[in-house]
Amino acid sequence: MSNRNFSTFKMGWITLCTFLWLLVGCNEQKESESAISAANDAESNSYLVEILPNYQNELLPEGLHWETNNSDPIFSSNEAKRGGTFNSWILSFPLTLRTVGPDSNGSFATYTRANNLGLVGIHPNTLDYYPVLATHWAFGDDGRTVYYRLNEDATWSDGEPVTADDFMFAVDFMRSEHIVAPWYNNHYTNVIVSVSKYDDHTISIEGATAKPPEEMLNEYGLSPIPRHFHRLDESWVQEYNWRLAPTTGAYKISVVEKGQYVEFQRNENWWGDNNRYLKNRYNVDTIRFTVIRDMNVAWEYFLRGELDSFPLVMPSFWHEKANGEDFDNGYIQKIKFYTDRPQPSYGMWMNMDDPILGNLNVRLGIAHSINVEKMLNTLLRGDYERLKMQFEGYGDYSNPNIQPREFDLLQADNYLAAAGFRDRGPDAIRVNEDGQRLALRVVYGSQEHTPRLVLLREEAKKAGIELNLQLLDSSAQFKQILEKKHQIAWMGWSTGLVPRFWQYYHSDNAHIPQTNNITNTDDPEIDSLIMQYRESKEKDERVLLAHLLQRMTHDAGAYVPTYKVPYTREAYWRWLKMPKHFGTRTTDTIFNPLGEALFWLDENLRLETMAAKQEGIHYPVVTITDTTWRVD
Amino acid sequence: MIKINPQTAQQWKRFKSIKRGYYSLIVILVLLALSVFAELLINNRAILVKYDGNYYFPTYTGFIAGNHFGLDYAYETNYRELKRHFSDQSENWVLLPPVPYSPFETNFLEDSFPPYPPSIDDQHYLGTDITGRDILARLAYGFRLAITFSIILLACNYLIGIAIGCAMGFWGGAFDLLFQRLIEIWSNVPFLYVIMIVASVIIPSFWTLAFIMVIFGWMGMTWYMRTATYKEKAREYVEAAKALGASNKRMIFRHILPNTVSIIVTFVPFSIATGVTALTALDYLGFGLPPPTPSWGELLSQGTSNLQAPWIVTSVVFAMTIVLLMVTYIGEAVREAFDPKRFTFYE
Repeated sequence: MSNRNFSTFKMGWITLCTFLWLLVGCNEQKESESAISAANDAESNSYLVEILPNYQNELLPEGLHWETNNSDPIFSSNEAKRGGTFNSWILSFPLTLRTVGPDSNGSFATYTRANNLGLVGIHPNTLDYYPVLATHWAFGDDGRTVYYRLNEDATWSDGEPVTADDFMFAVDFMRSEHIVAPWYNNHYTNVIVSVSKYDDHTISIEGATAKPPEEMLNEYGLSPIPRHFHRLDESWVQEYNWRLAPTTGAYKISVVEKGQYVEFQRNENWWGDNNRYLKNRYNVDTIRFTVIRDMNVAWEYFLRGELDSFPLVMPSFWHEKANGEDFDNGYIQKIKFYTDRPQPSYGMWMNMDDPILGNLNVRLGIAHSINVEKMLNTLLRGDYERLKMQFEGYGDYSNPNIQPREFDLLQADNYLAAAGFRDRGPDAIRVNEDGQRLALRVVYGSQEHTPRLVLLREEAKKAGIELNLQLLDSSAQFKQILEKKHQIAWMGWSTGLVPRFWQYYHSDNAHIPQTNNITNTDDPEIDSLIMQYRESKEKDERVLLAHLLQRMTHDAGAYVPTYKVPYTREAYWRWLKMPKHFGTRTTDTIFNPLGEALFWLDENLRLETMAAKQEGIHYPVVTITDTTWRVD
Repeated sequence: MIKINPQTAQQWKRFKSIKRGYYSLIVILVLLALSVFAELLINNRAILVKYDGNYYFPTYTGFIAGNHFGLDYAYETNYRELKRHFSDQSENWVLLPPVPYSPFETNFLEDSFPPYPPSIDDQHYLGTDITGRDILARLAYGFRLAITFSIILLACNYLIGIAIGCAMGFWGGAFDLLFQRLIEIWSNVPFLYVIMIVASVIIPSFWTLAFIMVIFGWMGMTWYMRTATYKEKAREYVEAAKALGASNKRMIFRHILPNTVSIIVTFVPFSIATGVTALTALDYLGFGLPPPTPSWGELLSQGTSNLQAPWIVTSVVFAMTIVLLMVTYIGEAVREAFDPKRFTFYE
């Protein structure tokens, strides 16, 4: 069904490409100038629509159960006012404004990509799905297809409607070699297998493997690509480098001053303003990202009021820099906002295939010899917090009863003595009866972490363990770990929507290179639970299994969790206003104008504050600490 | 008794007369001698402990657990703590080194965060680095390491360089030609890239690092030795020795090599300086010895990225400047002393 569909548009593409080639080829023989004008003609919509492939409609299966979500609480504030210019900064000018292709993965992409909305969104507090570009969704019987009904009011920022064809085109686009993006090529071929269209506002997405519904909506989603804007050929990467693509989000780029700044303008009559969950968000009219190449210089700009907010997660900024007159007089305010979101699992990962670390008692002994508390309280100034286990912040899925092993030399001594490492050598390091020293290699990948490891190494010496530090370049480190040649790996896994166990703990992935089971966990009981977890579609059962698996892997002691940063800290001028609840459970940055963007800006207050600063009028000091979402 | 060659005596006299170089040599030798016994001067292990009528010398013996001295832990005794513990007991005492910190030990003071500025009360005479380790201790042990490294490097480089260079000059012909080309090619391998690749694959230990640097560092000496040998070989006394039936071995070791010594000796101080700089540069870039090895390069990199703690960067820059300056002064003096022009008159 979909195959036929595909070959149709492949044919279409071949026609288009041949046509363009002829066009350009002909003109090349004439003057170069006319070639340019011809190419410009080719961009006009009327011309393209003619030769663009027509995607065929399929027949929608019967008996689909359409779902939507119009009942979750609203997380924006209806006090929000529209308007104003928000001034922010970037460390370097983006190399491209494309969202895919070479150089497109820089930090600025966070902002450009935020303007390409998906089919559904995730509610930041309830973690349920809510409608965005799709109004309804339904699941197919095969367990790996999702059907979406599109919002008929959704439009591109240039006024063109968003239709099923833009989704069909998105897959063609992502599979095209012209975009030079192998990861996307692969993802939209092997993870998302096909997209079908039923009418202009109904599509389905077929994934490669069956998954529980809540994961499917996340995995098998897609952002549309404006079919009327792109012309895919070899020159796409160059030609579209600085072109301003239409967006579905609240903003579009309006001014690009290369090397200096990029300005976003809010879309007039944005369709999203009628959406229950998008309403009262994205409140500023203009966002300007100015290039400031040094963080300390940016701080000076911020103090002059030329930037509206500033991140303070780094201890030196929060403790040392963010003090002084402007703070004491209440012009600049500070907020520390705790969140509850999946935490990356930083820590020490032990390879159980190693002869020493294969012994459970050794692993537990090591876990009790790692002085994470001292590292957090001294080196990190008590700013970071102890991570309890691998899957923290996953809501119901996180087992609340697991506590990390504390630094305890007595317990360490008991475990290590039980493992045969009873005596100490002349250098205070334990040896067993065979004369083997308890010396282990810790591989890590960032110079910045050396002080932390140096401290842990000195503390572990007290327990008679020698940790030898191996600093590698991060890709070489990752290579060593994935090849399972490490003893102890100092690293963290990034987060997902729900805990994943198969990749980390199933025996299918143990003892072989290039898998994420870096502890080489190989336990038939864990295996069978993981398979139950993967196959189960009932949330309660999955939660129970997740808790059990977390407990079992904790008992195996192959992972020593270290720290998490469960909050955002920011400084902001008093003309920025927030909802009463400041942020949400999963807020990343409160004053990110393209993120959740719940805040608004009061230009009158800006003038008032600046005048007050001149005249020496003081306001009360505001330092907010919000622990609504703090998890203890 | 060793009989000093009158020419050598002359050279030594001349060297001594160049005060800058002579005093630098004395200072460097003293520093080297001190660094050999660094454990007695800068260490967190006490020099001498008297406890319950017994004397302990923990510096060079094995570790002594805290509970042995009546403290409540089984890991290595913290002797500074022990000294405080004994302060009210007259029969038990601890003699600590002048700087009671080891270069690896992280020391956190209460209610404040490292880096700590220089303080005589805390006995951190040059302050601490960002992990709370004593800078003076790390400088001293780093000096010892860098100089040792440099001397080993020098010995290996010169051994290979002199042997091959001498052979090239002595035999000449095809052998010379072949090695010239080989060395030219080898010299063009970008050394820093090789180090970077190796450092990303294995932990570069002291010996692997020295090995790699020798592999890429022996070529320099060959050119000088080749020319010198060519020159000496053509001299009458070598011809005479050959005519008398001297073997190749005798000609090289008895006649040619001793006459090229002045060239070798003048290069030595500069090679030492190069070795120290190279190790420091590699450590600075993060491709040198693995942490937590005390190293000047690592201190320099910490210092430059933490300019708000100026004592880190000033200590290491000052130490490095002084040492390199002294080595260069020695080098100058040696060159002057061995300069043949002073004693030879060409007609």
